[in-house]
Amino acid sequence: MPVITVRDLTKTYQTGGDIEVRALRGVTVDVEAGEFLAVTGPSGSGKSTFMHILGCLDRPTSGSYALDGDDVSRLSRDELAAIRNRKIGFVFQGFNLLARTSALENVELPLLYGRHKVSSSERHRKAREALAAVGLSGREHHHPNQLSGGQQQRVAIARSLVNNPSILLADEPTGNLDSRTSVEVMDIFQRLNAEQGITVLLITHEHDIAEYGSRTIAFRDGQIVADDRNGSRRHASRELAALPPRS
Amino acid sequence: MGLLMTLRIALKALFRNKMRSSLTMLGMIIGVAAVIAMVALGNGAQSTIENQIRSAGTNLIYVMAGNFMAGGVRTGSGAANTLLVDDAMAIRDQVPGIQYLAIGVTTRSQVITGNQNWNTRVNGTDIELPLIRSWPVQFGTFFTPQDVSSAAKVAVLGSTVRDMLYGEGADPTGQTVRVRNQPFKVIGVMSSKGQGTGGEDQDDAIYVPYTTVQKKLLGITHINNITISAVTANGVASVAEGVTALLRTRHKIYQGDADDFMVRTLEEMAAMRTEATQTMGALLASIAGVSLIVGGIGIMNIMLVSVTERTKEIGLRMSIGARGRDVLMQFLVEALVLSLIGGLIGIGLGIGVSTALTRFLGWPTTISPDAVALAFGFSALTGVFFGFYPARKAARLDPIEALRYE
Repeated sequence: MPVITVRDLTKTYQTGGDIEVRALRGVTVDVEAGEFLAVTGPSGSGKSTFMHILGCLDRPTSGSYALDGDDVSRLSRDELAAIRNRKIGFVFQGFNLLARTSALENVELPLLYGRHKVSSSERHRKAREALAAVGLSGREHHHPNQLSGGQQQRVAIARSLVNNPSILLADEPTGNLDSRTSVEVMDIFQRLNAEQGITVLLITHEHDIAEYGSRTIAFRDGQIVADDRNGSRRHASRELAALPPRS
Repeated sequence: MGLLMTLRIALKALFRNKMRSSLTMLGMIIGVAAVIAMVALGNGAQSTIENQIRSAGTNLIYVMAGNFMAGGVRTGSGAANTLLVDDAMAIRDQVPGIQYLAIGVTTRSQVITGNQNWNTRVNGTDIELPLIRSWPVQFGTFFTPQDVSSAAKVAVLGSTVRDMLYGEGADPTGQTVRVRNQPFKVIGVMSSKGQGTGGEDQDDAIYVPYTTVQKKLLGITHINNITISAVTANGVASVAEGVTALLRTRHKIYQGDADDFMVRTLEEMAAMRTEATQTMGALLASIAGVSLIVGGIGIMNIMLVSVTERTKEIGLRMSIGARGRDVLMQFLVEALVLSLIGGLIGIGLGIGVSTALTRFLGWPTTISPDAVALAFGFSALTGVFFGFYPARKAARLDPIEALRYE
């Protein structure tokens, strides 16, 4: 069963007066569990709107969106918040970590908004595990300003993982990182995808970053214009091995 | 999210901006401290006024024999012979709320000593008179229960009488005066009291046991008046009612018939006091309101800044599952913590200022627990009221817009 089922999805914004912006014009796509999907397209193509709807941050104007088989396209704000908490992990371009808050506490944050109470020792354990999964053991008590950009993004990835989400939504996760750090971050996504079978949706406008995915869909003018398996997929771990070690 | 966790997060957020948080609190601190110090000063002033009125005797009730307001034959007050010693005893035993009681039997007489004489009131009274009137003796002593029961011929002079007979400031204790050709031993002199509420010179009188006036001077068994003090100024009305009811029963006065006695209290004084208290209370309440509102506006201002500043954080929290009401609670609790901590410090400061005013300036202050509780409650209310708008603004943010906010 696909983890994401999208049928005839449209989104129309009313901007001042009678001007309508049709950001999505009938999108239909399935994403299977365990896929690493790259979503590309120029700005204004509708990929951000698509990602907001997939991330349950926004609701479609028409069409349906089923996550794990449940239609979530007509849920209320609070219900969407609950879905985001349980099933979706977000990774943003700007990391969005809380300043002057330790890595551990940043990672624990989604557990605080869960509908079930989690004891503080349980929270610490889960957060430590998530940090270990992104290779940040020993940095639990560092604050964001004591971490490099790549490390901050890894904390953000750990935060997105802590609730065992169905999908991981990464919105331009390498946009603020240098090329080597970008490869490191993509390595983490590929390993989580391969080793733990986590479904990853990667939104990017950079074609070379999209090549780390197993499948790429391209947006233009609110529609999917291309949907391809990546034949020549890039492998971050191999590229890292070939690079000279960090000085 | 649990309340405890929300509280922790709020404390952390406030701690991150120590300077800003403390300045915001300062508004609340000053507001609450001002209220407490003001109310303390007001209460201090009020109890001073109350003491002054008490010395004049707001808690006094006068019972006079006769009723010049009633009946076809208008007798002067004190002229009827229906009021008896037993009435006074019954009042003391049966009417609750009475502190002191003194029987009065009054006459006028020439008071003579050596070659001096002076016409003055002879007040036959009881041992509790100095207590009722908070009126100590200047020299010597007041008479004793034995003097009363034995109808002893002893006298305590008012200071005006002493001045006339012995010269100003003299101590005639141990001397003898003659009243209606009977020798009375002077056992003391009252301190000067000045004009009474009727404008009469209260010092122009001599005080002797009422039994002495009854038996040795007038040969009567009735009494002229009873002076009663209530335990509290507020209890005056109920004591007056109790006395009236009791005397009507004892004197077998039918319903609808007029009293054969008069009960008078210093109602005007009490009314004045109430009015002064209310004015003072209203003034202080408005000061309290204004200063706390100003403090509240400070909190609202800083919370609005905080919400704008942390838009991205709000967006993030929403993206990881915070509901609108989680965000609402977070900011509301922050505002509440600011106002409550401010309120607590304000209470400390207010008490400190009140104490300092008394110690260094000698102004009387009375810290009232009511005012402290009220100020604290008000500061909490202010926090909720002024914190609600910014918190709701935060809760209603669109997560997408909030995440994009730079």
